[in-house]
Amino acid sequence: MTGDTTIPSSAHSLFTRRRLLNGLAMAGGLGIASPLLSACVPGGSSGGDQKLGPSPSASAASGTVTLWMRDDDLFKVFKTVIPAFNRKYPNVKVNMVGVDVDTKLPATLISGTGVPDGSFYEDNNIGAQAGHLYDLTDLMAPHKSDTLQFKLDVATYDNKLVAVPWDTDPGMLYYRKSVLSDAGIDPKTLTTYDALLNAARKIKQKNPKARPILLEQDANLGMLWLMMLINQQQGSGLVDEKGGLTIDTPAFRKALTWIKTVADEQLGARSKFASTGQIAQCDSGIVSLVPWAIWFSFITQSGVKTSKGDWRVTLLPAWSAGGARSGVMGGSSFVIPQKAKNPELAWLFYEFAIYAREGYTKVYGPNNTYPNGLNTSLPSVKAALQGAPLFKPVAALGNQDLWSVDTAAAQAIPAGYRIPSWFNSAASYLGVNMQKMIDGKASVDEVISTSVDQINKNLVKRQR
Amino acid sequence: MNPTSVAEQAVGRTAVARPAKSHQSRRGWVGYALIAPFFVLFAAFGAYPLFFALQLSFTDWRGSGTLHWIGFSNYTYLLTSSEFWASLGNSGVMWLLIVPVQTIGAVAVAAMLSRSNLRFTKSLRTVMILPYVTPLAAMAQAFILLFDTNFGVTNYLLNLVGVGPIGWLTTTLWSKPTIALFALWKSSGFALIIMLAAVQQIPEEVYEAAAIDGANRLRTFFSITVPLVERSVAFFLVVSTLGISQLFLEPYVLTKGGPYTSSTTSGLYLYNHIGASDLGTGAANSFLLVILVLILSLVSVKLLRPED
Repeated sequence: MTGDTTIPSSAHSLFTRRRLLNGLAMAGGLGIASPLLSACVPGGSSGGDQKLGPSPSASAASGTVTLWMRDDDLFKVFKTVIPAFNRKYPNVKVNMVGVDVDTKLPATLISGTGVPDGSFYEDNNIGAQAGHLYDLTDLMAPHKSDTLQFKLDVATYDNKLVAVPWDTDPGMLYYRKSVLSDAGIDPKTLTTYDALLNAARKIKQKNPKARPILLEQDANLGMLWLMMLINQQQGSGLVDEKGGLTIDTPAFRKALTWIKTVADEQLGARSKFASTGQIAQCDSGIVSLVPWAIWFSFITQSGVKTSKGDWRVTLLPAWSAGGARSGVMGGSSFVIPQKAKNPELAWLFYEFAIYAREGYTKVYGPNNTYPNGLNTSLPSVKAALQGAPLFKPVAALGNQDLWSVDTAAAQAIPAGYRIPSWFNSAASYLGVNMQKMIDGKASVDEVISTSVDQINKNLVKRQR
Repeated sequence: MNPTSVAEQAVGRTAVARPAKSHQSRRGWVGYALIAPFFVLFAAFGAYPLFFALQLSFTDWRGSGTLHWIGFSNYTYLLTSSEFWASLGNSGVMWLLIVPVQTIGAVAVAAMLSRSNLRFTKSLRTVMILPYVTPLAAMAQAFILLFDTNFGVTNYLLNLVGVGPIGWLTTTLWSKPTIALFALWKSSGFALIIMLAAVQQIPEEVYEAAAIDGANRLRTFFSITVPLVERSVAFFLVVSTLGISQLFLEPYVLTKGGPYTSSTTSGLYLYNHIGASDLGTGAANSFLLVILVLILSLVSVKLLRPED
């Protein structure tokens, strides 16, 4: 035997190993190359026009439906709807799961793995995932006239209704009754934003340490608050119906000028929502005027301590005489992913929970989680808003008729509010620039021009 | 000995030592079968995501629909974006605030705990490592309460001596140092573990020789301890540079990157793209960071490579 004949023999294992490694490399390469070649993404939705078909009848509907809910009190509340739903649809098993929806849903939609049949989702987030969601336009047709218009606008992308509108979060004016009384202010006179400024000045004259109007310190939440002030004036928010930026408009100029006046005259106290600092500001009387979404009601009921029972709520002031007395700040809906296994069943549940009186009464009426009913948001269904009160007055807000005030605000929200898919990212520009303005580091004009430039460059022009 | 005879000898040894060919082949395949799970898992969860992310960085994919090739647009966008460079700048400042103090401090404390006659050294060691194993979110809440502008204990104490109030987490001047302090508190335990291991490997004889030569403690520290832990310091610098480039949770929990964007680190900036479903830009951002960290790590290793 010569060296030549022995080399293959001694290298036998090496040859095999190399072959194996080559095989693995080839397999890996194919794995990488296949999506490149197909230019498709594994698990990704088509992004095309997928309409959800007609839903089955109550007797024909059967199977298990998996629904994701935000893992908090809402999860507990929505679980109470299931027995009532099952009385109408006895063959449908509802598997409701409490999930950190904001974090998990986008990843699930993108990967296409473990996709639920339906999910709760914040309105602000829907646009970025619209390509993964069913077009519900046809299914929603019978309910459109019974739904607040702005909620339909919010859930519409490329003329497709991609979510079932759920809750409405109107802007309200929360105030400390005793502080206003001591300053000789009648809350009924707070009908314009100028009147609100004058009230704040009066309170400050009485108590120089006071900074009566609450100003949000977080750039994201601050921008959401600004949107409430904008929507109240012009219906739209950051963009109009055609997607054009609306920042350089009189509505923005007016709202920003008002905020700057509050800041410059030291009439505003800044803090982050629900922070220890904010609770202390409210309890100490530093803050006594809070134009904010209906969910500030949570702070008056469960946040504040020494001022509990001294808070009241009324409609937002108007920007001009006879103008709208509310705007939108937040809200959420239910979405049905295109990759859902039982989308029809998800629709049936949402239709029942949102549009059937029995459904929305279970959610908003008194229950174990909310003994007086859920009063930090409202239904978006006109029949519910115009019907008998769903939640009761609460002692923390002086047992006033919350239902009447809140529902009047909800129905005053102007139509036309649109949320672009890049909305959340805009906070890095408009939200941040507004905070700079409050700090005295930018003028109103600078906020507008800089925000327009930044949003155009970094967001609008980078959309496909 | 010529090559042929070497080969023949090898053949001879192989012929004697090796079992039958089929048996050996079977054993080889058993080996490959045993290591196959690693390769499969690595291909699925390591190689594939890496290459997919690289592919994404050349597209404008937002999570749905088909991939559109856009060349180097994401890279040029980032490289010409003031925000990208600002986030790198913020990370750079964080590095300067955290790593030198942490490295020098860890070596000094490790030397102290290993070599001093301090009592309760084991308890001290545990106390110093404790923050590293405590959940970050819980510690962040405590930190937020400590450093609240209006109601924090820190400002309360400073107020007693006529200083403040200081907006620790709400002003552009103080947000980064406060986050750095939190990161130092949280991660110094890890630095200490590494340096303790390094210091404890230094032979006792070296210290005895230094003592015979009359070196005091300070001299011993700088002339013996520091030079002999250089390899560990180099390792720690690389690891902490990697960590700082990915620093995300601390600014996210404490300031969300604010006020304005003054504490938006490169990790948080990247996350913002991913969070906005701008996956292409996010992927490009991550590869730019990889290149940068690779360069910085190589420089660190080169500069700190001990002379034999």
